[in-house]
Amino acid sequence: MSDQSVPLKLAVVGHTNVGKTSLLRTLTRDTGFGAISHRPSTTKHVEGARLSVEGEALIELYDTPGFEDAVALYEYMEQLPKTGERLDGPELVQRFLKSSEARQRFEQEAKVLRQLLQSDAGFYVIDAREPVLAKYRDELAILAMCGKPLLPVLNFVNSAEQRGPAWREVLARLGLHAVVRFDTVAPPEDGEQRLYENLSLVLDSQRPRLQRLIEHNQAQVLVRRKAGYRLIAELLIDVSACRRSVHPDHLQEAMHDLHRDVRQREQQCVEALLKLYAFRKDDAQASALPLEEGRWGDDLFNPATMKQLGIKVGGGMAAGAATGVGIDLITGGLSLGMATVVGAAVGGLTQTFRNYGERLKGKFRGERELTVSDNTLRLLAIRQRRLLSALELRGHAAQAQIQMETPLEQQWREGELAQPLQTARAYQAWSSLNGQKPHLDSTRAQAVEELLSSLSQQHANSASS
Amino acid sequence: MTDSSSSLQTLWLCEAVRLREEQTGLLEDSEACRKARSAPGSLAQRLQVRGLFLAQRDGLVTALQHWLQGAKLAVWLLIISALIAGFILAKTALSGTPQAINIFWALAGLIGLNILSLLAWFFSLVFSAQATSPLSHIWLWLSNKLARDAKAVQLAPALLVLLQRNHLLRWGLGRLLHGWWLITLTTALLTLVALLATRRYGFVWESTIVASDSFVMLVNSLGKPAAWLGFALPDSELIRHSGLQTLDSEQARQVWASWLLGMLLIYGILPRLVCSLLCEWRWRRGVKRLQLNANDPVWQPLHERVQPSSERLGVIDAAPSQLPSSTAGSHITGEAAVIVAIELDDSVSWPPELPAQVLNAGVIDTREQRRTILDQLSANHPARLLIACNPQRSADRGTLHLIAELSRTAAQTQVWLLATQTADERLNNWQEQLDALKLTHSRSAPWAWLEHGDE
Repeated sequence: MSDQSVPLKLAVVGHTNVGKTSLLRTLTRDTGFGAISHRPSTTKHVEGARLSVEGEALIELYDTPGFEDAVALYEYMEQLPKTGERLDGPELVQRFLKSSEARQRFEQEAKVLRQLLQSDAGFYVIDAREPVLAKYRDELAILAMCGKPLLPVLNFVNSAEQRGPAWREVLARLGLHAVVRFDTVAPPEDGEQRLYENLSLVLDSQRPRLQRLIEHNQAQVLVRRKAGYRLIAELLIDVSACRRSVHPDHLQEAMHDLHRDVRQREQQCVEALLKLYAFRKDDAQASALPLEEGRWGDDLFNPATMKQLGIKVGGGMAAGAATGVGIDLITGGLSLGMATVVGAAVGGLTQTFRNYGERLKGKFRGERELTVSDNTLRLLAIRQRRLLSALELRGHAAQAQIQMETPLEQQWREGELAQPLQTARAYQAWSSLNGQKPHLDSTRAQAVEELLSSLSQQHANSASS
Repeated sequence: MTDSSSSLQTLWLCEAVRLREEQTGLLEDSEACRKARSAPGSLAQRLQVRGLFLAQRDGLVTALQHWLQGAKLAVWLLIISALIAGFILAKTALSGTPQAINIFWALAGLIGLNILSLLAWFFSLVFSAQATSPLSHIWLWLSNKLARDAKAVQLAPALLVLLQRNHLLRWGLGRLLHGWWLITLTTALLTLVALLATRRYGFVWESTIVASDSFVMLVNSLGKPAAWLGFALPDSELIRHSGLQTLDSEQARQVWASWLLGMLLIYGILPRLVCSLLCEWRWRRGVKRLQLNANDPVWQPLHERVQPSSERLGVIDAAPSQLPSSTAGSHITGEAAVIVAIELDDSVSWPPELPAQVLNAGVIDTREQRRTILDQLSANHPARLLIACNPQRSADRGTLHLIAELSRTAAQTQVWLLATQTADERLNNWQEQLDALKLTHSRSAPWAWLEHGDE
């Protein structure tokens, strides 16, 4: 067992329908592992998954069928020893596995026991909503016979009717003092860490390996979050830099097109975030998040949504606020807005002036400029940040809609927009929404980088306050 | 790509592939990922294996060679332009009447623009994020044009993004900028020497309002550093005289010429040389340290592809074709009506008020209770047996087996699914399972049936 090069084998065992496959899905971040349903005996086979860190396999997890017939099995096993014979737990289990009932009535139970015997330890998953019935005690007694360390995992602890304390008491009587609360649908932020820490309590020799896994997972959370904020920053820069010159006659049509394109761009970001957090975009599970095509998309330009999220709609141009589009109405053609000045001051002059020239030409042709309003940018920022927080707290076994915590996003509701977004206003070429490939120059990269760090800064602030 | 190719080129290609994927979605990379996964080493190395494979497959490697050739050609063009510029610079500085060259105009012509450009560079170093200059734009544009490879267009942005991310762009382009000026000024110096060697120039200074004392001080203080290097420094007498008329003396001409050359060297060439060396040093150091930072969020989407943190191992122990099932039955005869409950917890009050003739057999939970009650029922078979279950619990095989076994002790059996609040899926499952056992079930107690046997 102390051999560090062989992966640690863990069997996930428990009664039927308590969420063993869900635990595996959440721990492996694999929404497609096995099958989950409300029916008992959904999993009828033993299936494995491997967790690796830096290419080295650290842990092998095995999903097993549910234990269903513990009472009868216990009774059967009780009469296995011949008169006068004394068998210890593992011997008794071995004797059972050799019996013919292990291939008939107790076939599923035999699979579980066989797997547990081959493993270094087991997670005993408990549906904390269940009362501690005698069948569960028998189940635990049989599993304990295998002589492997068991770590009870209380699932569904977020449910109102959970009976965690009763379970703890019973488990303590059986000598199982290390118990982890781990809701597979909405695991606590430090859930995995506590799970592995508790496992190292019962498997002391594996402590360094588990510690490594914990550290890796913690680092991954940060990398993922940063990558998520980068996606959001890209979206915001993209939308902010979008600027279209249109003839007044086609204004309505152009606005419609702009709305559609911005929605599409947001959807693209949503899909990228889902992918980043290893949720499938066509996953039925993901649709339970508030991002069905309809709701997530159509609300974007609705002033009511903005009000709902506390974004002040008034102030600027009422028409612009209502359509989510800023229309540069220019008299004389020279008030190109502060954004240009800011952009020119910060970034390259040549590009800005080229841009400026194009726009001046448009002015003389009597065209108007469409940009996406500040309020829409705010809304995009808030929605994407919420989605990110929701995904961070979502287990990979989740099937229902989850409760989203409201992050502190006061900064996004009012006041000046972040500096990089104001800069982006002056760089049409940065946007992919202007009908051409975005100009990926270093200034743009820098703006994305700045926005990203300001977003994560806010995350850190909201987490600490 | 061979092993000898520098890490810069590898990273550049990986970056180009990444940018392409960012714009157009992930490439078809199953083979590349398989290769990367089988490669030993860290995540960064695997990402590079994947990137290189895709770059090779999509012709980016040859495009890179073309681009590098183009870039080399562009550098040569820039060098030629620098040579020409240097020559023109020196020529213009000494244009006008050879007998009376205005010494300060000549000086300003030689190093004025250079100093301005140098100041702009320092300014950008301190204040601005912008690392590019018009010269670097020209070089990139030329390189793209000269590469004559459509795919090469993707390479220049990748290089810029890569260098920017590693804070190398400033130094890389700085090399180009300072190198260009260094060549220009050196050419100017050589041209100047050649001109001064072969033609006779006289130097004057002119001013309407500045006093000659100020000129003396200016010339002396400017010329001091050059004097340390052995360049001549005109004495105050000479300077005063030069202000009045063109001096015909050979010595005066030589002193002024030497001073001018010294100025060009000290204020033109030397700063550029220092800057070039600085950029070269930072560039080389940076390139040597260049490595793929796998933790950068831009690489995150590929982590799982080249180094999965979890993999499925597949089915170890296959599912049986059919699970063992129970069959309900009935005993031929029996007496009395019995009610028995299975697996009830304290949330359900039990027993309810029972009709007079109904016997309460109790609750089955533990093994002992199970054995006792089964023994009792087998000894005195009931005519009608009502089994109460809480549908909140899952209908597992053990429970169904027990229900089936109980049913075989009685002449007639029905199941009462207690009217507790139950999720629909659970309830449906119970009903399906009981239907499969062919047992009648209901959510309310069938007291009439239990007491009298009528439906």
